[in-house]
Amino acid sequence: MTMNKLIVTLCGLTLASASLMAEAPKLVDVRVYPADIHLSSKIDKQSIVVQGWYSDSTSKDVTAQAKLSVGDAKIAKSDSNWITPLKDGKTVAKVSFGGRSFDLPVTVTNSSVTPALSFYQDIVPVFTKASCNTGGCHGAASGKDGFMLSLFGYDPDGDYHRVTREQVGRRINLALPDDSLILEKGAGRVTHTGGKLFDQDSKLYQTVRAWIADGAKKDPSTVAKVIGVEIYPVQAVLKGKGSTQKLTIRAKYSDGTDRDISDMAAYITNNDLAADVKQDGTLVAGEPGEAFVMARYDAFTVGAQVLVIPDTENFQWPNTPENNFVDTLVHNKLKKIRVTPSGLCDDKTFVRRAYIDIVGQLPKPDVVKAFVENKDAKKRDKLVDELIERPEFNDIWVMKFAELLQIRTDNNRFLYKSAYQYFEWLKERFQENMPLDDIVKKLITANGDTFVNPAANFYKVEQTPLKLSENTAQIFMGMRIQCAQCHNHPFDRWTMDDYYAFQAFFAQIGRKRGVDTRSSVVYNRRSGGVRHPVGNKDMKPKFLGAEVPEIKSGEDRRAILAEWLASPRNPWFAKNMANVVWAHFFGKGIVEPVDDVRISNPPSNPELLAELGKRFSDSKYNFRELVANICKSRTYQLAAVSNESNQLDTRNFSKGYIRRIRAEVLLDVINQVTDAPDKFSGIPLGSRSVEIVDGRTSNYFLTTFGRSTRGSVCSCEVSIDPNLSQALHLLNGSTVNGKLSRAPWLQDLIKKKAQPEDVVNEIYWRCLSRSATDREMAKLKEFFTDPKEYTNSYYDIFWAVLNSKEFFFNH
Amino acid sequence: MSNNWCNSPDHPWNPSRREFLQVGALGALGLSLGDALKLQASESFPTPKAKAQSVIQIYLPGGCAHQETWDPKFDAPVEYRGPLGTVKTKTGEYFSQYMRRTAAIADKITVIRSMTHGEAAHERGTHNMMTGNRPSPALEYPSMGSVVAHEQGPRKNLPPYVIIPNQTRNSGTGYLGSAYGPFSLGSDPASSSFQVRDLKLPSGIDDKRFDKRRNMRSIVDAHFSGLEKADALDGMDSFYQRAYSLISSPEARAAFDIKKESSKIRSAYGMNQAGQRMLLARRLVEAGVRYVTLTYGGWDMHGGIQRAMERTLPSFDQAYAQLITDLDQRGMLDNTLVLVTSEFGRTPKINRTAGRDHWPKVFSVAMAGGGVKRGYIHGSSDPTGAEPEEKPFTVAQYASTVFNMIGINPEKRLDSPGGRPQAIVTGEPALNNEILA
Repeated sequence: MTMNKLIVTLCGLTLASASLMAEAPKLVDVRVYPADIHLSSKIDKQSIVVQGWYSDSTSKDVTAQAKLSVGDAKIAKSDSNWITPLKDGKTVAKVSFGGRSFDLPVTVTNSSVTPALSFYQDIVPVFTKASCNTGGCHGAASGKDGFMLSLFGYDPDGDYHRVTREQVGRRINLALPDDSLILEKGAGRVTHTGGKLFDQDSKLYQTVRAWIADGAKKDPSTVAKVIGVEIYPVQAVLKGKGSTQKLTIRAKYSDGTDRDISDMAAYITNNDLAADVKQDGTLVAGEPGEAFVMARYDAFTVGAQVLVIPDTENFQWPNTPENNFVDTLVHNKLKKIRVTPSGLCDDKTFVRRAYIDIVGQLPKPDVVKAFVENKDAKKRDKLVDELIERPEFNDIWVMKFAELLQIRTDNNRFLYKSAYQYFEWLKERFQENMPLDDIVKKLITANGDTFVNPAANFYKVEQTPLKLSENTAQIFMGMRIQCAQCHNHPFDRWTMDDYYAFQAFFAQIGRKRGVDTRSSVVYNRRSGGVRHPVGNKDMKPKFLGAEVPEIKSGEDRRAILAEWLASPRNPWFAKNMANVVWAHFFGKGIVEPVDDVRISNPPSNPELLAELGKRFSDSKYNFRELVANICKSRTYQLAAVSNESNQLDTRNFSKGYIRRIRAEVLLDVINQVTDAPDKFSGIPLGSRSVEIVDGRTSNYFLTTFGRSTRGSVCSCEVSIDPNLSQALHLLNGSTVNGKLSRAPWLQDLIKKKAQPEDVVNEIYWRCLSRSATDREMAKLKEFFTDPKEYTNSYYDIFWAVLNSKEFFFNH
Repeated sequence: MSNNWCNSPDHPWNPSRREFLQVGALGALGLSLGDALKLQASESFPTPKAKAQSVIQIYLPGGCAHQETWDPKFDAPVEYRGPLGTVKTKTGEYFSQYMRRTAAIADKITVIRSMTHGEAAHERGTHNMMTGNRPSPALEYPSMGSVVAHEQGPRKNLPPYVIIPNQTRNSGTGYLGSAYGPFSLGSDPASSSFQVRDLKLPSGIDDKRFDKRRNMRSIVDAHFSGLEKADALDGMDSFYQRAYSLISSPEARAAFDIKKESSKIRSAYGMNQAGQRMLLARRLVEAGVRYVTLTYGGWDMHGGIQRAMERTLPSFDQAYAQLITDLDQRGMLDNTLVLVTSEFGRTPKINRTAGRDHWPKVFSVAMAGGGVKRGYIHGSSDPTGAEPEEKPFTVAQYASTVFNMIGINPEKRLDSPGGRPQAIVTGEPALNNEILA
């Protein structure tokens, strides 16, 4: 601090104008990791990382500059950034930097005990760290060059057997540990396809050597398992190529102990150009950009977000106003990445955008004009509140949930009657603004006759525990756990155990024919289970990524699941639902795609996602409040016009994103402006296409523009990508051309012999929520010379407007 | 037997990993890439001289058994040989018994019997053969057709890349912008009601009136186009341009009208899916389409391979032989490259359900025209059809050779999202001159 001030002052003296100098960034926050220290053996130790955050939203690793000491020097001692034990007891580690100081509680136990090396805890991590057990090497399904290890060590018992018992005497040598083949190969002293992986004096080598020298003992069955891994810091904004940040990784074990595993975790970066990570856990900044750095240990992968910005920059944050927490959190990210958000969109654009997104319609010209005239400073908030209360708002979300719940007929298996009842049931829930957690609970716990309780159709659409569990994870948690059906998830934390234990919640569903033979009755069969394909063990139901609940025999497992699934105890539910809603209003999720949440697909703005989720659960899952928070934010109301800094932004919400209007809504607005509705099977004439009950009901327009058939729960069912067929259909197809001439308001104007300018403006207002610009009007008026041609010209202009990108994109 | 989920297009090797990369993409920051990369991107790559003016890619989805088609193992033990007999080709080789007509034109084509890769799952094998690149978790590669659309653009008012009848896995634009996507007909030329929709102006609108409409549209569109750039907007613009050229050219439109062919020609190809799709493909390349992908049949024959081949192969045989003969007679064969590919071959041994399972280690592809040797067999598989025996032919070799023949340098780098340059063919590029005439 003092130093910075001094530099500024000196510069002020030497330069003619001090204002030429950007003010040196001030220290605004200091973060110390980890928050507490547990040392549980003589050789245990813990590293500390100190991160400084500055007023220009950058961070620095200030560990080396920070002062570290221990309160009671008899209990523990500090050496550079390490704390090591001396005697059992409690004390504090004192860290100070930049005038701030922190006391981290330190607990020391078993300080005189040196624990024996464990195969699971100490040796398997060596295999992972030295990449012996990756898929390309000995971790391949059939091993490599005659030696197999389990992929990333998921089967430590098997690995122990293969190292010590398979081909006895070959792989390890208890008498002469250094002559053990695994060490000779790893150290490259004998020919090894994988080359030299570690030095003889490395910790990796010495650990394995010591374990062999100690008799290569088998672990007791009580060996503590890793139950979680923590990474610190979770975010860094590094300025300038070559700047570094040290990571600290800590594993927690089932016996309550923990270990600093910073030097034993395997590190991966998804963008080594922006940030590389050395195998000791040091991040090194490269070219400007964003990277996600992951550390793998045992079955766990954890990640940290790293932003790298150039050190030559001269960025001035414009102090953009903030409407609510959404803006604050979006701006925090934009500040870090040196992006200036676009300005606010004008009133006309806002009204059109909000109408299309919230109610799936275009605003009437009078509505737009009155809104522009309105001087109320809160008018945008009020419009959002008003639109959310409209029945059409529910229609949009019923449609989206009908996609997630796959409401579609299936010949004789799923009748239209069932689809209709299911759809109507959903609609009633949205109409009464039932909290989302209650809707989900009603679906998951549904029992009874599907004709009486339409929610039970959740178990009629899909019948197998396998599909039901996969879909439940994908719809309500945004997770694709399918991989783990056949193998531990390669890019995420899910193991086959997790997969089959989650599936077990759906193992006791009974079904029988209803009184009406077309319906089904869903009930709790009170018995049945799911067996793990490896070992054939009957799996106890376990929440994904959480605990094994207490379930009494015969108790409805789904009721237990529902209580967890749609609750704050489930860390993913609220965030996922908030993300689905967010993606609707921005065309991109914070996690994208919305149903592929995994560690290696991180959110672009984790703080924003967390806060949206937290507020959503705090509001008791009030859906309308969530939508209001998003739509009232300044972020939602930004103009879709780039500035120099955000031209390439596609993920950070620094401007309005232009999106082609989705199929159903586009057809509805064409029908709205032409006043020529379609008739869809199963719903009355005049119903909009967002109200279509059955995923299989469609027409050429809807199919070509990418409507979901609801064939799967995947978000990829809906497509808004352009293609040639769409252009051809808008130009020549029956939808636009057939409906144009039916517009009664245009016929009236023609009959009344209205002035060309008025007719043109009416078309513009109805379709584009604005009048023609002077330039447009001047050019279009050239087509009005021969009064006999007026009528054709009106229709042609109407056609041209319906074929303009401004019409079929939301902007 | 195959597992349904693994075969499903939803199996997440597939969904666009573009998204994954985007979080790491530099572009998102509004900051520019390092200079080193920019230099790389602007390097110049010499364009090879094109021998093939157009490509017809016949894709046999599911994984076509090489043993029952191009590479019968007639002297192997019966469990390897399989249920089908053979027919001697004009060049003295042997094809499957249901390839009688193709055997008769074997002097016009090259068969590669040593195609090899390591991806035994449909979606990964398809990615290999449709894009010429190994699937990556970070990036979805563009189909070869989309690369052609990107590099060479439309010709004679026709879309550069057409799919008959519907878009399939990995036939899309991958990391390239949506503007380079295929035009898929959405309708099967074998169906009696076949029509490519919306090519004709609506009734009551003549060319003059349409021109007027176009003028008006450009006036209305100009305002918005001036405001913002986005990939979807550019894509839509380019599709509008394509649509305009297509609509305003009667010749271009006629290319899609299979009824303009005589019934004699139509029945010579076969009045079935294989025949009419290949005939339409010929019409399209004749009219100017650069790259036509057509799919035919379901070749994932895990069970009852004898019956399945009986049902599927004869109409392919008739259509393919007719296509090659027809192109040759029209003098088009030397500048039209005809590819017959599939994601992989099938297991050497017949399985318990009298079928064969996935086998990528060796299988066959056929190439004809466009500068490929006539009457040539390249490489061979071992006696049980399990491994390449001579001249293994890799995916990178396949793609490099095809791109070279079309006049595209496979080492050229294209911009992927975030401006990171990607070679068109990322594997070890190796033009195979042996198969060239």
